[in-house]
Amino acid sequence: MKVITTKGVVKIYNPDKIPVKALDGVDLEIKEGEFTAIVGPSGSGKTTLLNVIGGLDRPDEGDVEVGGHDIDAMSDNKLIDFRKEHIGFVFQAYNLIPVLTARENVEFVMLLQNRPKKERRERAEELLRAVGLEDKMDKRPSELSGGQQQRVAVARALAPKPDFILADEPTANLDSKSTANLLDIMARLNEEEKITFIFSTHDQRVIDRARRVVTLVDGKVATDEVRG
Amino acid sequence: MIPIMAWRNIWRSKTRSLVVIGAISVGIWAALSLTGFATGMMKSYVNNAVQNIVSHIQVHQPEFLDEYEVKYNIPDALAVEQAIRAEPGIKAVSVRSVAGGMVSSSQGARGVRIKGVIPEEEARVNALDENVVEGEYLSDKGRNPILVSGDLAQKLNVKVRSKVVLNFQDRGGSITAAAFRIVGIFDTGNNPFDLSHVFVRRSDLNNLLIPATDSSLTADALTHEIAIMVEDIRNVDTIANKLGAEFPGLKVQTYREISPDLELYEGQIKNVSLIYLTVILLALVFGIINTMLMAVLERIKELGMLMAIGMNKLRVFSMIVLESILLGLVAIPVGLFLGYITIDYVGKNGIDMSIYAQSLENYGMSPIIYFELDPGVYLQVAVGVFLTAVLASIYPALKAIRLKPVEALRTI
Repeated sequence: MKVITTKGVVKIYNPDKIPVKALDGVDLEIKEGEFTAIVGPSGSGKTTLLNVIGGLDRPDEGDVEVGGHDIDAMSDNKLIDFRKEHIGFVFQAYNLIPVLTARENVEFVMLLQNRPKKERRERAEELLRAVGLEDKMDKRPSELSGGQQQRVAVARALAPKPDFILADEPTANLDSKSTANLLDIMARLNEEEKITFIFSTHDQRVIDRARRVVTLVDGKVATDEVRG
Repeated sequence: MIPIMAWRNIWRSKTRSLVVIGAISVGIWAALSLTGFATGMMKSYVNNAVQNIVSHIQVHQPEFLDEYEVKYNIPDALAVEQAIRAEPGIKAVSVRSVAGGMVSSSQGARGVRIKGVIPEEEARVNALDENVVEGEYLSDKGRNPILVSGDLAQKLNVKVRSKVVLNFQDRGGSITAAAFRIVGIFDTGNNPFDLSHVFVRRSDLNNLLIPATDSSLTADALTHEIAIMVEDIRNVDTIANKLGAEFPGLKVQTYREISPDLELYEGQIKNVSLIYLTVILLALVFGIINTMLMAVLERIKELGMLMAIGMNKLRVFSMIVLESILLGLVAIPVGLFLGYITIDYVGKNGIDMSIYAQSLENYGMSPIIYFELDPGVYLQVAVGVFLTAVLASIYPALKAIRLKPVEALRTI
């Protein structure tokens, strides 16, 4: 089983001027198959923690291991390859590639993995069907609603068959209906396909659906609650 | 898919891309047209000089060229002449006797080179008959006819049918003089040449050059200069080399050796196109850098996202360079086409520079310039612009790959 482990992770922004400790000794273990929400007030370090776990940022102190890979030991280019193979991202503002259609956006990451064209296409279509966008495959992001764009982002995050999907406030810009719809899809993927989701959020609707809730306060783990 | 992304990316900001494509196209057009103009002008100078003055190849006795002394005539000239005429690839041959002397009228005198020619032969070599603007060309009729240029006639204050006196040394070294009657006024379009040359019949000149006491030479065997036109100018060097080998005692020169300025001009054509191209490309570099830099800076967040999801630096770099190349690839055919139709049109119809005709003629050029372009220049320009597009994209592309995904994603 693949596991994310952080040990004494410290991340300091602005170390030269006015240092801000975004993470202050975070110890955490997240296992494959979890549906975990990382919550906390603004500035508590949620996004920083996700960035560090996802290999977008490096900790100043402590160790991060993702599925047995020591993130700190990797060069920038290695990190890019690591993210490509092992981590799927869903960002807050629907960061899709504006010049590509929904299908092409999903195919794109698989292209980066040099997968054959036929496989890319079939998987992209399968994933877009799974998120309920079979009739929007050839639309560009500007022709989709916010909720639809986030569903494309989820399909894209799933495309490379990553070990973990990290979603940074995925519902922040969505209305209730779209939020419920997106959560349904993610919960189903978690239950049926055993996909691991880790969210950062302060959206109560998301917290309510999570099966584990880790609360951060001032860069430290304050509570860690596992529900039924 | 990356080429598709690059292609769609350049059309995200249509106006901006069209402006830079327009700038590149106009730059190419300008480089081609300016080069076409310069080439046309220089070719006009070279052609004028070759056709009216130097011809393709000239043969002399080597010492003759030092001082133009009449005693250094071509030995066995008749045999040499016949051998040359028998060469393949030769269009026309004119045998001349030449003397340095003075032409004088009641109003003044000028130093001139007197060329004794066989009228119909000379006409075939340098179109002298077509350059007669007043009166008639030399013929067998009359005694001692002479052609002078309009410029010289003005200086001497003479006109058609006026009498002038030529003074020169004969082969014996004595000064001799004879009266000639102007039958025609010529104008080659090259003022320095026109002012310093007069044409008479070779038989008349030779009779004066060979003193009565000299029996070693007949009038039809005294030749100082053999001027040759070949059928194809590209064969000039081959034919000249062959003649040089055949007549080792004679000096065989091509127009480039006779008039080194012509060679310089011909060589200059290539430099001129390179200079125009360099200046224009330098301006384009900054235009493209500016466009590509804007294209990078306005999508920092997107580039951060691409790197976050696993697009490596090489691919990001290639995508930016490709966008710049695509801008170039759209612009290059447009510019080449505009340049081609301009050069084709002006090449056929010419551009009338007669307002500057006087100054052009002083340099031996025609008042109507026909654009002309070596086809290689199109390739040169296309390759130059392509490389410029690549070069100009390097800085923006480096800027893109230096972004840190976390920071880029936070950009608004």
